[in-house]
This record gives sequence, structure tokens and C-alpha cells, in this order.
Amino acid sequence: MPSVSQSIRVKVLFFGRLKEIAGRTQESIDLPADANIESLFALYANRHPELQRYRSSLVASCNQEFAPWNTVLHAGDEVAFLPPVSGG
Amino acid sequence: MGTSSPDITSLVGDPIDRDTLAAYVRGHEDGAIVIFDGFVRDHSKNGRTLYLEYEAYEPMALAKIQEIAAHVHNQFPIHRVAMVHRLGRLEIGETSVYIAVSAPHRAAAFDACHYAIDTLKRTVPIWKKEYFEDGSVWADGELPSVPSATSAVKPAS
Repeated sequence: MPSVSQSIRVKVLFFGRLKEIAGRTQESIDLPADANIESLFALYANRHPELQRYRSSLVASCNQEFAPWNTVLHAGDEVAFLPPVSGG
Repeated sequence: MGTSSPDITSLVGDPIDRDTLAAYVRGHEDGAIVIFDGFVRDHSKNGRTLYLEYEAYEPMALAKIQEIAAHVHNQFPIHRVAMVHRLGRLEIGETSVYIAVSAPHRAAAFDACHYAIDTLKRTVPIWKKEYFEDGSVWADGELPSVPSATSAVKPAS
């Protein structure tokens, strides 16, 4: 069993207005081994409080598939936070 | 159902070559092509638009466009599909998205093209920002639906 002190590194991507609020397009970040997408977002919302008001109007993806907020993350995962899409 | 026909799916930075795409999907076994040509309008609810900028989560957007093309082949008796979306800065009147569907009969081509553009606008991670004389704004969009928790839990990669 992994010890509680073990961490995982994931890649995080921001798009649209989330990119502007976070001030970056991507970052690699170390997380606790039991992190999920919700706790990852909470970490960024803590760093950039304006992100919190978009929480209910964005979706997340994990490894380029739409993913629910309780998706547990693993080392090497690529997570993206996606505002409402407006292509076309 | 024409599933052996190669489709064209792409994200491009340069102007979309509409004539080439329309010619590509056109086959001797077909009786109709339905085209959706989406282009930049000069206004929105926010006022007079100067230009648009599109960005995408490119690998995921391309995968989602390919899923749509595969799905229309499964759902409709069509021949070929071309789906191309442009990214970057687009001026008024320039084509942002172009979808061409060929089929032996028109009903399938209409249905497939309609499904393809509606699904693209609802599920493909592409965003546009509108630029005006006095500022810019991210366009209102649609929130894609996300699968339920149990089906999306992934094994370690």
C-alpha cells in the first residue's frame, strides 16, 4: 500500500477564460495520492478565488475524455478544465 | 453504409478550402451532397464584431470530431464526411467550420450533416472570443454532458 505521504504528478490544462484567470495554459503539479478532479480544482480555486464562480459552469476531462468531478487521479494523468464550448 | 470510405477530419490554421472538400466527398454512387458552411458574422448580441479568435484543446477536439464522423456513418446511409474547423483569428465572412456529407439519397445527407454540426457545437472543446471596438468577450457556449461517475473511473495510466 502506498504511504499517505506519497504524491502523484499530473498535468493540468486551462482553456478560454479559465486560462486567463489562472494566468497559464498548463502546469505540472504534485498532488496527494488520493486526489480527484474536485480536489485539484479546489486547489486552484484557493490560489485564484475568481475560479470558484465558474465551478458550476465548467466541465473537466481526464486524458482527453470528459470526466466526472470525483474521478480519482493517477500519476501521469492529463486533466483539463473546460468552459462551455462555443465552436462552430 | 460506406464505412470503408476515408473521411476528412481536421483542425486547420489557414483558410478552409471548401471546394476541395466538397469535391472530395462527391462520388459516382452519390446523388446528393449536403454542406454546412459556418462563417463569421459581423455582429453578436454584444454589438458589432470586428473579428473572432478560436482556440481548441486540439488533440481532444480532433478526437471528438472523429467520433462524430464515425457515429454518422453508423447512424445514416451516407458515403463520405468531411469535417474541418479553423482555429486562430478569423475575419468577418471567413468560414470557421465546414461539414460536407455525401450520400446516394438526400435525406440521409441532410440528417447526417444536421447531426454533425449540432453535436460538434455541443461536445467539441473549441472556444471563440469575440472582439469589438471596446473590448472582447468569450462567447456563450454549451456545457458538454459528462458520463456518470462509475463509467469514467480510469485505471492507472
